[in-house]
Amino acid sequence: MRAVLERPAKIDSDMWVDEAIWGHRLYDEQTPWLCFMEFLNVLNAEMHAARALKETSPNTLSYSPQQRLYLRNILFNNPRMRVIEREFRNDNHAQWEKWIETMGADSAGIQTPNFSYLQSRFSSFEDFIDVVEFLSSSTIEGENNKRWSSLFIFPFGPDCLYEDLNVKGTNISQDRRFFARTGELLYLMLARSGKGEELLKHFEDRILNNDSKFNRLVSAIQPDVELSHSSSIKREGAYLPYLDLPEYKAIAEDWIRLFECNIPTYDVIPHLINVMGIHMLIYSLNRAKEVLGQSDKATFVLEIVSPKKTVVRELSADSFYENNLLSRSAVERYIRQVSETNEWQSAINSNELLECRDILKKKFEWPKKSKEDDYDFDSPQELLNALLENAINRHNQHLNKFHNVWSREIGLSSRRGSRRYRYAPQDLLIKSLVLCVVPSRMEFQDFLEELFLKYGFIIGDKQASSYINSGRADQEAFSENASRLEQRLSSMGLLKRLSDGCAYVENPFASREELNND
Amino acid sequence: MTTSTPNSSWVNFLRQYGPIPSNDNMYDETIQRIVKKKGIEPILIEAPYLAELIENFNSENPKSIILTGTAGDGKTYHSRETWYELGGTFEQWEESGNIKKISIHYGKTLYVIKDLSELAPEERDILILFAQCIKGKRADVLFLIAANDGQLLEALKQVDEDDDAKGILNIIEDMMVTDLPEHPRFDLRLYNLSRISAAWALPRVIEAVTAHDGWRECDHCVFRDHHDVELRCPIWENKKRLEGEQANSVLRTRLIDLLELCEINGVHLPIRQLLLLVSNMILGHPEARDRLLRCQEIPNIIEKRTTAKASIYRNIFGENLPERRRESTAVFETLGRFGIGNETSNKIDNILIFGEDDPELKNNYQELMLSDTYYGADYTYKIHQKEYLEGISEDEGANFLQLVRSQRQRLFFSIPEGRVDEFKLWELTTFHYAGEFLTKVYRTIQQGGRASSQVISRLVKGLNRISTGLLTKTLDKLILATSGSHSQARLSKIFESSISVMRDRGESVQIKADSNGKINIEVSLSSSPSIPAVKLYLHLIRYEFLSRVAEGALPGSFSRECYEDILAFKSRLLKQLERRKVEDGENEYFDDSMSLHILKLNAEGNIDKKTVEVLY
Repeated sequence: MRAVLERPAKIDSDMWVDEAIWGHRLYDEQTPWLCFMEFLNVLNAEMHAARALKETSPNTLSYSPQQRLYLRNILFNNPRMRVIEREFRNDNHAQWEKWIETMGADSAGIQTPNFSYLQSRFSSFEDFIDVVEFLSSSTIEGENNKRWSSLFIFPFGPDCLYEDLNVKGTNISQDRRFFARTGELLYLMLARSGKGEELLKHFEDRILNNDSKFNRLVSAIQPDVELSHSSSIKREGAYLPYLDLPEYKAIAEDWIRLFECNIPTYDVIPHLINVMGIHMLIYSLNRAKEVLGQSDKATFVLEIVSPKKTVVRELSADSFYENNLLSRSAVERYIRQVSETNEWQSAINSNELLECRDILKKKFEWPKKSKEDDYDFDSPQELLNALLENAINRHNQHLNKFHNVWSREIGLSSRRGSRRYRYAPQDLLIKSLVLCVVPSRMEFQDFLEELFLKYGFIIGDKQASSYINSGRADQEAFSENASRLEQRLSSMGLLKRLSDGCAYVENPFASREELNND
Repeated sequence: MTTSTPNSSWVNFLRQYGPIPSNDNMYDETIQRIVKKKGIEPILIEAPYLAELIENFNSENPKSIILTGTAGDGKTYHSRETWYELGGTFEQWEESGNIKKISIHYGKTLYVIKDLSELAPEERDILILFAQCIKGKRADVLFLIAANDGQLLEALKQVDEDDDAKGILNIIEDMMVTDLPEHPRFDLRLYNLSRISAAWALPRVIEAVTAHDGWRECDHCVFRDHHDVELRCPIWENKKRLEGEQANSVLRTRLIDLLELCEINGVHLPIRQLLLLVSNMILGHPEARDRLLRCQEIPNIIEKRTTAKASIYRNIFGENLPERRRESTAVFETLGRFGIGNETSNKIDNILIFGEDDPELKNNYQELMLSDTYYGADYTYKIHQKEYLEGISEDEGANFLQLVRSQRQRLFFSIPEGRVDEFKLWELTTFHYAGEFLTKVYRTIQQGGRASSQVISRLVKGLNRISTGLLTKTLDKLILATSGSHSQARLSKIFESSISVMRDRGESVQIKADSNGKINIEVSLSSSPSIPAVKLYLHLIRYEFLSRVAEGALPGSFSRECYEDILAFKSRLLKQLERRKVEDGENEYFDDSMSLHILKLNAEGNIDKKTVEVLY
């Protein structure tokens, strides 16, 4: 087993099981986009503290995100704006006056709201509306039903970043509904990747740049007080169990490759997110495999969507299903391991139920002091079973869904044309992979091999040898799968075909290429 | 019926070229043996590069040559013919051994490698000699290598460690990927036989097959042109239709149109596939053995009244074959993408179904259907049609609709050139604008002409709709807009600039051919040479996509790929715009204010912009 870092001194959760394996924490409801947003918040805050992507002692991250409640009220909690504009048509002064009054009363989360600073910044109320409507049209994840305080504007720059909140009247609380620390985990991974400095430079240039046009536009609707960085709040408690993993470096390297491609400014972001999503999935599966004592790396059979049902589709669905079971089996295994320890055995032998409970408490932080009385058992086995049941129930609520939700969100899995989920990558994800893997051009078969080595993706027959040798599929099925990918890459302008089975995958944004022809 | 069953060895030979399970004639090597054994004249298609190859090897400063191409492009054919021309014999060529040697002019030795994939490991060293040769270190030897690209690169990888051969892998790879025919520093030429266009080769293949001496065997056959139409041999009928009445038969022209469109889309069909196509067109029948007719099956087919199933128009699409075989055969898979038969056209379908009884359609019906009693309105068609219209068919018309499908295929290849617009011929395909694209854009420009302003306006309108996400009608200028965020965003409402379609101060939108003959939409942003025009390769799918978007009818079958292509094009335009701003000194901003232009559609559907200013 790998060395595991010391857990935090204070633990709020009911137990320490999922967290011990994967960290605090992977969370299904925090989509890859929201993970990226949380990460940017951490990064930006730590940049202000001049220690971005540097971790002096493990798991001591303490950062100060911004809240920008003026900005958020204007963009997402401002339903009367259009009504007021119509009600006082042609009377600019009255429009402003009424709106400022309304916002003074209806906005939330601000102690003494005063929106009058805006009037002098715009030549008319209508101009102001146009800007607000434009900016809110770039809400990430588009239209959705989330509460207004969990909506996020596209990260044009540092002035667009704020943390997820629960706002009731003037009460603000951080309930970690959508910023559930997955972004903090990502931050810690990158801080431990050994590539922090290099990454930081790219972020400073490309995304966290104050001078970019739309960042300036966003800053134009915020009061001055929101524009100066505040360090009044501190967020702590992030925990990533391992000091060093190959996965950390892999994410960082892929991100650097993407930044080095000649992709127009913000277009790089969806690719960063896709690739990060893949690595987080690999991280989650590999941790489970380690607990289960499986020494091989996670693999994914990818069906390149075919109009008809194929063997590869079946295998891909099986592969999805098997991977999907891993985390839960890991939780079970992780807990059962305790019964193999001498400590536990001797406690059983001496028939000391309390001692058993103490062992569980020490190892899993369970049961909590307040709930000790809820568990009144006759045998250590019963006690252990209760923990197991509790842990599985808790696991099922979120972490167990992580693989399913995230693989779908990044376009890796789908149920198209089938009742079962399977790995069937979408075009944008395929493009992300090309940008990461192909420096400028690469022979197609080498590309397939590279995808296998880097991500465990099984597409062509060479990579599928274990399936073919065991008779679960024939070679043709996988080579047809590969040629479907070849076809798709070609139609996306990412592949150049020479004769007979010889083709090159090309990165359209390779930095040395001139982009004047496709 | 006749007592003597016909049997033509030529037909059997031609059958070998078709999509039969072991189509031996796919390989030059095998043909040579059959030709020798049976004494049949081979089907000869001219080797377009032969003269150049001979000239090279006979010249004072010859270069080594690599022939690449897809299987069936004629690599072996080219090298064998070169071998003969340089004095080699059939026997030497047929001897075992993959590497042939011959002395040529100026005391040089030419090595011919017949098939690189068959090179034994111990023969690999020959490639080191080859490397020395193209690097100019061995003036006494020359090479002619036939290989497909994959094999060649694979073989070169094996010797890449060798000091002499180091680097040539990269050089040749570069030449292949960038289509460079000759290297400035190395004594090497690359002939990519896949550049032989199918549109060039098809007429030659048809000519070689239809004018073949073997057809003389039919001279005395009773089924040849039988006075009773129903007793005619479909093989002979198909051959005649393929020949056409005049040199320019509609069938041939349309088929060339389709092949040319495939090529514009980047799909190459080698000569071997064209031979397969022609063989299948003449001999295909779903009920024949291996789905290709033999003479002895003709009497039976006539008796069963299934000659219509041998229709050349169905056979073009491999309809005689089982689905799997059809889909795995390149030429049928490619032609199948046009959807001819499956695509419906109201105009044509009405004639096909109701033409018999509808006075308004009667004339058309006569012209399109009754005039062809063999593959058109034959006995079977009429019976099924009647049953269908009277609602008494046992299969609810399924059989009849299959026949209608075949008729659509026939009509696509028989409606005369002058009636194409009237019958909306191209609506019988997936690509309604294909005919216009081919004749009014592609060929016109190839011949030095210009695309009409109507066409350009329509494409610009399509581009504007995609790049703004607004249903605009603006067509006299190309709108450059951003969403502010990433380019995957559906709506782009921030106006950056617009480019005049008509020439204006260096701005213009045109359709032009580049030096390789490819057709591009070229958007010029400036007359400054440091800001070159941005090009979008215009192939059929993009043309159809943009045209349909402009006309407001986009079927779901068009995947996102074109959409993504256009967005990528837009990114390149925006990038070039950025350069222009830098050059014109327009890229500075002020600390105390900023302005932006927000796009709006006005009542006429044209794009207006509203300027919003923000002060700090």
